[in-house]
Amino acid sequence: MGSVVVKQLTKNFSGVDVLKNIELDIHEGEFFALLGPSGCGKTTTMRCIAGFEAPSSGEIRIGEKLVNDISPHRRNCGMVFQSYALFPHMNVFDNIAYSLNIKHLRDSNMFKKLGVYIRMLNSKLIKYPKEIEEKVNSILEYVELKEHARKLTGELSGGQQQRVALARALVMEPQVLLMDEPLSNLDQKLRHSMRNTIRRIQQELKITTIFVTHDQEEAMSMADRVAVMNGGEILQIGTPTDLYSNPKTPFIADFVGTSNILSGKVTKKANNLTCVQVGDYEIQSAMEVEQEDVQLVIRPENLIVKDKSESTIDNYFNGIVEVATYLGSTVRYDVRAGDHNLLVDTVFESGDKIFEKDSEIKVVVDPERVLLL
Amino acid sequence: MKKIKENFSGLGVLKILVYAFFLLFLVIPLLSIFLVSFTDEPINIFGSFISLDTLQTTINQFKNATLDNFTAIFQNTTYFASLKNSLYLAITVSLIVMVICIPIAYGIARTKMPFKKTISALCTIPLVIPTFISGYSFIIMFGRSGWATQIYQYFGGEGFLIDPYSMTGIAIVQIFFFFPYALWPMVAAFKVSDISLEEASRNMGAKSWLTFSTVTMPLVIPGMLSTALVIFAVSFSDFGTPIILAPTDLNLIVVEAYREISGFFNWGGAAILTVVMIAIAGLAYWLQNYFTKNMNYGSVSGKPKQVRQNDNKILTIPLFVFSAFVIIVPVLSLTTVFLQSIATTWGRGLLPNGYTLGHYQTIFTSSLGNIQNSIVLALGALVISVVVSAAVAYFVVRHKSTALDFVTTVPLIVPGIAVGIALIQTFNTAPLQLTGTAFILIVAYAMRRLPYMVRSTMSTMKSIKADIEEAAINLGASTFTALLTVVGPLMLPGIAAGSILVFVTVIKETSISILMAPASWAPMSLAIFQNVMRAEYYSAAAMSIVLVVIVVIFQLIAEKLTNRSEKKMK
Repeated sequence: MGSVVVKQLTKNFSGVDVLKNIELDIHEGEFFALLGPSGCGKTTTMRCIAGFEAPSSGEIRIGEKLVNDISPHRRNCGMVFQSYALFPHMNVFDNIAYSLNIKHLRDSNMFKKLGVYIRMLNSKLIKYPKEIEEKVNSILEYVELKEHARKLTGELSGGQQQRVALARALVMEPQVLLMDEPLSNLDQKLRHSMRNTIRRIQQELKITTIFVTHDQEEAMSMADRVAVMNGGEILQIGTPTDLYSNPKTPFIADFVGTSNILSGKVTKKANNLTCVQVGDYEIQSAMEVEQEDVQLVIRPENLIVKDKSESTIDNYFNGIVEVATYLGSTVRYDVRAGDHNLLVDTVFESGDKIFEKDSEIKVVVDPERVLLL
Repeated sequence: MKKIKENFSGLGVLKILVYAFFLLFLVIPLLSIFLVSFTDEPINIFGSFISLDTLQTTINQFKNATLDNFTAIFQNTTYFASLKNSLYLAITVSLIVMVICIPIAYGIARTKMPFKKTISALCTIPLVIPTFISGYSFIIMFGRSGWATQIYQYFGGEGFLIDPYSMTGIAIVQIFFFFPYALWPMVAAFKVSDISLEEASRNMGAKSWLTFSTVTMPLVIPGMLSTALVIFAVSFSDFGTPIILAPTDLNLIVVEAYREISGFFNWGGAAILTVVMIAIAGLAYWLQNYFTKNMNYGSVSGKPKQVRQNDNKILTIPLFVFSAFVIIVPVLSLTTVFLQSIATTWGRGLLPNGYTLGHYQTIFTSSLGNIQNSIVLALGALVISVVVSAAVAYFVVRHKSTALDFVTTVPLIVPGIAVGIALIQTFNTAPLQLTGTAFILIVAYAMRRLPYMVRSTMSTMKSIKADIEEAAINLGASTFTALLTVVGPLMLPGIAAGSILVFVTVIKETSISILMAPASWAPMSLAIFQNVMRAEYYSAAAMSIVLVVIVVIFQLIAEKLTNRSEKKMK
């Protein structure tokens, strides 16, 4: 196991800066997610760590060792590919034993090398030594694939293939486990259960894991820390709760969870409150800012819907319900408030009133819950 | 520093070797034959690199370079006539083939023609028979004592029904044996062209034939033009038919070039004919590419749709009769060769006078060497093609090596006889005197078939995703180990099928064998050719049948392998 440290990493593909000054400090045993939209550089960052891309500049250290000049096959970081990249001409057992065969190959003399090569081409001809046999069997048991050991990978379901890919990466006891969108090829239901499986295995083995995904729900639910990337840069690194409650930019606020983002101008500051003019409304926030032009970020669940007739309340927008969607435990309103569209999530308990389409309402927000960015 | 290290790794060395192979055996030979067309004397390129004297000679040759040969092509009546005749033949053949193929292709693709499956199967027969055997079969059928001539004279005809030793004879052989090259692309075009457009036309009141001529045909025309150009190139470059059938007073450019080199050692003449040949074949190839790229209507290249089949007996019966008539000619040719091979003697009669297996016994005792030679040479060519094309496919697909991609398509446009002449010229003298060796013969065979092998290997390579190779490397394998244990085994089925086809086509190859094979390495095709020239028809027939059987067996194996690997990939 090892830490992964990336310093001032840049990558340039024919004149285009794909990665700009990437800094990462991933602790030993940590589950770290790289989150961002497609083309943000998250996969390139991972491929630089794996050694498939050479950095244009910067340092990459795995377990405190500088790996920039170490070729990818010597880096000992297990990778789970998006497409799994299982070897279709080998059965499950041979796939998983691949890296053990390679280790065997390195330690052998010329004559034995030939034997290992033959075994890798056809495992029926030359038997595996006992230690490889045992190791593969135990990991097969661990990922619950024992009975599929002799099947070709093409005969397995998507979830089973995923577990073979994971087992194949784990069996080499890598310093760090790299996973590139590993769940994107699975259906919704399987994805949820695989999330738990991966998280459980990661915690049990305490293996440093870097997980690339564009799915914020995946990153938030699995990772210890998340780095949000966009346009080849890291925008913010933090724990899931940190990112959700204190996003540093409107982009993160929008990408991590759902947010109402409104532009406004700061008018005055008083009583620890900042007043912001948003269209026709004046909204107060408990946050202090320096600049005049600001973006207000309000999470849908922090907005409260009240009847228009209720008076004497501060900090609200007048609005008209455009769509009311009943989602069981919550009701989501699409509200038109002047020039702004607001999303409001309210907790629904039986007996609560649902505002119909076209009802005139007030949308109230607590100043503590208004972020100014 | 890192760059240098990369270049000298195993893969770097392999890449250099592949480039060297193409430079040595393709680029320099073609270049030097081009230069010879100016100097009018053989030049020694390799010698010029190592010996100052040779270099001086070469420089003097260039000082005396002339454009005489280029003017000669228009003034020397033999050269000009040969070019004119070849163009005339190729254009006629491609036009007639198109006309013949339209009804058959329509019948197969769009109607419930009776015996459709049988006809489709029989249409592959011409593809397994080398053209010099088909040419020779026409001699047995339509020659002075041929059975077809006998029937013709019985019904009161005078002389020949068709004189095989004539332009007409050559054209007819080419038409009946090259038409499958056009048929299958055309069937495909008819299958995918949009049926709903035809229905729309009929819906607007157009009659069937009107729909066919105004909607169906125009949609198929771009595909047909490019197919016609393929036939043009095949007919123009064909050596087997004219070398057997062309009378001495009929000049065709391939035969003329062969005679200049093997009869008179007239290097300048052979060179200029070669240059012209390559230019014309290259033009046809370029035009063909142009048509397929730029003139395809969307619906023609669309997905195959459920096609409603025409069941009108008034249409299907004549289509069947016509198709059967076309396909009966190659079938009868093959049957005739077979009968000849088991005939004791066959004089003026419909059938042989008696039957014997003696000719087979003779060739399996006295000519076993030729069969062995063919197999050894074909295996040699197979090994070279497999190694080179696997390397090329890897570099083109993974390293985006466009230069290699281009250079491997070059042999596609160079007629076999031109490849032969260029190689003989270049390797005729020290320091690299290879002419007359089995090695250069094998290289020539391999070079001829490489484009096909490279294409098929490349498509297999493309189906192996890059991340599978990366996965192996990530698991600790070096590039070499990853190639050996993962990429190699995955490519194997595709390579196997392709390499069997290389084997088959080398066994069929005529022009290179006749031009380049030394007596000690005479393959079957050369032996048959010499037997025909010596009028030893019976042993030629038996050897031809053996050759066709070998070709058919391996072709079937290749087909099985392709089907199996396609299933696996799915």
